Amino acid sequence: MNPIDLLATADGGLTLFRLVLRLGFALFLIVHLAGLGLILVQTFSPVGERRTKLGIITRKIGRFFIYECLVIGSIVMTVPFYWMVVTSFKDAETASSADPIWTPTRIQATVLPGEGLDMIPVHILGVSQSEVAGEEIATVVPMENFRFRRITEGGARITRQVPDPPESVMRVPANAVERNPVISFAMDNYLNAWYRPEESSRGQVNFFTYFFVSTLTSVLATTGTLMTSALAAFAFARLRFWGKNFFFYVILATMMVPGQVLLIPNFLILSNMGMLDTYGALIVPWLASVFTIFLMRQFFMTIPEDLWDAARIDGASRFRYLWQIVVPLSRPVFITAGIFDFLNNWNSLLWPLIVTSSPNRRTLMVGLQNLNDDAGAEFHILMAASCFAILPIVILFFFLQRFFIEGIARTGLK
Amino acid sequence: MKVKENISLRENVEAWSYLAPATIILLIFWFMPVVVSLAMSFGNITALKPIDEMEFVGLSQYTSALTDRNFQKTLWNTVNYVVYSVPPTLILALGIAMLLNTKIRNRGAFRTIFFLPYITTWVAIAIVFRYLFHREFGLGNWLLGIISVDLLGMSSAWRLEWLQEPRGIWEMMLFGPLGVSIADMPFGVDNIVRGPSLALTSIVMTSVWRDTGYFMVIFLAGLQNIDKTLYEAASIDGANAIDQFKAITFPLLSPVSFFLLIISMIGAFKVFVPQFMMTPTGGPDNSTMPLVMYLYQEGFSGEWRLSFAAAVAYILTMIILLLTLAQNRLFGRKVEYGQ
Repeated sequence: MNPIDLLATADGGLTLFRLVLRLGFALFLIVHLAGLGLILVQTFSPVGERRTKLGIITRKIGRFFIYECLVIGSIVMTVPFYWMVVTSFKDAETASSADPIWTPTRIQATVLPGEGLDMIPVHILGVSQSEVAGEEIATVVPMENFRFRRITEGGARITRQVPDPPESVMRVPANAVERNPVISFAMDNYLNAWYRPEESSRGQVNFFTYFFVSTLTSVLATTGTLMTSALAAFAFARLRFWGKNFFFYVILATMMVPGQVLLIPNFLILSNMGMLDTYGALIVPWLASVFTIFLMRQFFMTIPEDLWDAARIDGASRFRYLWQIVVPLSRPVFITAGIFDFLNNWNSLLWPLIVTSSPNRRTLMVGLQNLNDDAGAEFHILMAASCFAILPIVILFFFLQRFFIEGIARTGLK
Repeated sequence: MKVKENISLRENVEAWSYLAPATIILLIFWFMPVVVSLAMSFGNITALKPIDEMEFVGLSQYTSALTDRNFQKTLWNTVNYVVYSVPPTLILALGIAMLLNTKIRNRGAFRTIFFLPYITTWVAIAIVFRYLFHREFGLGNWLLGIISVDLLGMSSAWRLEWLQEPRGIWEMMLFGPLGVSIADMPFGVDNIVRGPSLALTSIVMTSVWRDTGYFMVIFLAGLQNIDKTLYEAASIDGANAIDQFKAITFPLLSPVSFFLLIISMIGAFKVFVPQFMMTPTGGPDNSTMPLVMYLYQEGFSGEWRLSFAAAVAYILTMIILLLTLAQNRLFGRKVEYGQ
């Protein structure tokens, strides 16, 4: 029996479901048409004249509709995330079921009593015809002996799930293997996705490599951008020099140029400098940002000049004033700009795709894109990889939520 | 002429020492490339023809791009992506922002939920939606099955090919069921009538899903900036809800809205990741491939037609420049000093 059939609802339940669905939908339509009618009437009546009984009822209905819209919207926003997380715990079979399974379900194989593996969960390595005609033999390994180990395959050291110790592999009659859907939060998809990439001349590459490259380059590029931008923004905000306005307009004008124009020449420049396929290619071009300079200059301009006078009387140099007074006062803008720069670097796909080629220089996004090509329709693996790829940013967001949202609101309004 | 300020050499040297680090990087990786790229687009650099052997070929890269059927197709795809993704995103974002701007509980929680898609990376989102739009086990076709079989009682379930469907959406949803077949029309008018392919529309839906929260946050900030007493004054004057929106909300929000319209259009013209991740080959009948993906494909694979790609990049720049100029010309002052 196909295990997916076990999960499907029986026919009788389905007709009840249809009945409920149709009645529910009819009720939904009636209530909403009536409610919308009332609201429409109120929309065209003056706001001040809503103290009538009908007006108050209508207002209550309206508030209900607002919540309803927001809740439905929230469901639309969260279902893909829920689906991603749930699928990441499924196996290949449950992840590719046409009827969606809303719980982290996988098919667990157990061996019926009498074969020496009484009801122990096993992994089926394969099913073959035995010498005795008509009998199918399943090669199984107990789940607890199916472990992630470093093995040598095709000359490369890779990590795969293998029977450990090899003697734990058993052969049992296929009809003694029972398969049942169970809810499970086993992590094998995560480990399988994590160790999936393999090709490299310099040892094994896995998602640790990609995370390392992404973190290293994003952190260095962001730190560098914040430093160069703070210096430049300070000069634009508080120092006097020839050609200040002209240079500032030139900088503002470059904000209009789409980054795609820079791809080709920057690629050639880096290749002439011999920097292709290095960390430098992912960091150096992004050590300055016009937008960050602009953002910081706007903030520095709001810091009162009196502070500089006071600092000067105390004998501080310009640089010390910037470092010890302006920078600490500008913490919010540093965090906002830092978040933007970090996300830009972390999320970029096109640039690392162009300037890096060896597997151990791949960023997380390129690694994920590679896995997407490689895993095709193995969505349980892909969802696990997507989960761990977005996790750092989601955690960062929940810690710095205020700065994310205020930063975006502010830059959008200015 | 302004009176020349008296700035000492020492002050200049000091200021430029602050500017130097950023300037050097910007000079090498931003200012110079803009010029180099323009120069390259008038030449004929490929993988076989390095930059020092470049010959000047005038505007021929531009003319060959503009007359290339593939280029025209990608330009049309990009325009379709912009036209079909930007307005729904902005309208939905404004709608949700207005709902959140009423007296409701849990505003912060709702705002976070709507904003969450935006902070997760496009690459992961594209993978998830590739799954949702999968023809056999995606939630999209499951939902269509529920609607067609269980709700409407049809005998066979509706199924769509989503990311594999080259037909235009109006052709499928409107003219197909009506039995109207669309003939070829001059100037490609039939392409407008057919609409973007369902494959591209699926990508558009994904991008609306992702970006709505971002614009909602900005709209919400704009709405909360509007003085509440204006609404009170209007209600005393006997205004209804429509009047209030027309006389207060819309005019006070329009600088922000226009600014958002322009920046979201610019962003949409530069789209690359969703198409590249969800339809790596450019979609059925090449119907999803955007300009930037075409640029990447022509410039960084096959014959490495770098000059051609530079010309494509400059055509994109021209479009974006025009949009920026339109913004400055029409609403520049309002946007800048609106606050």
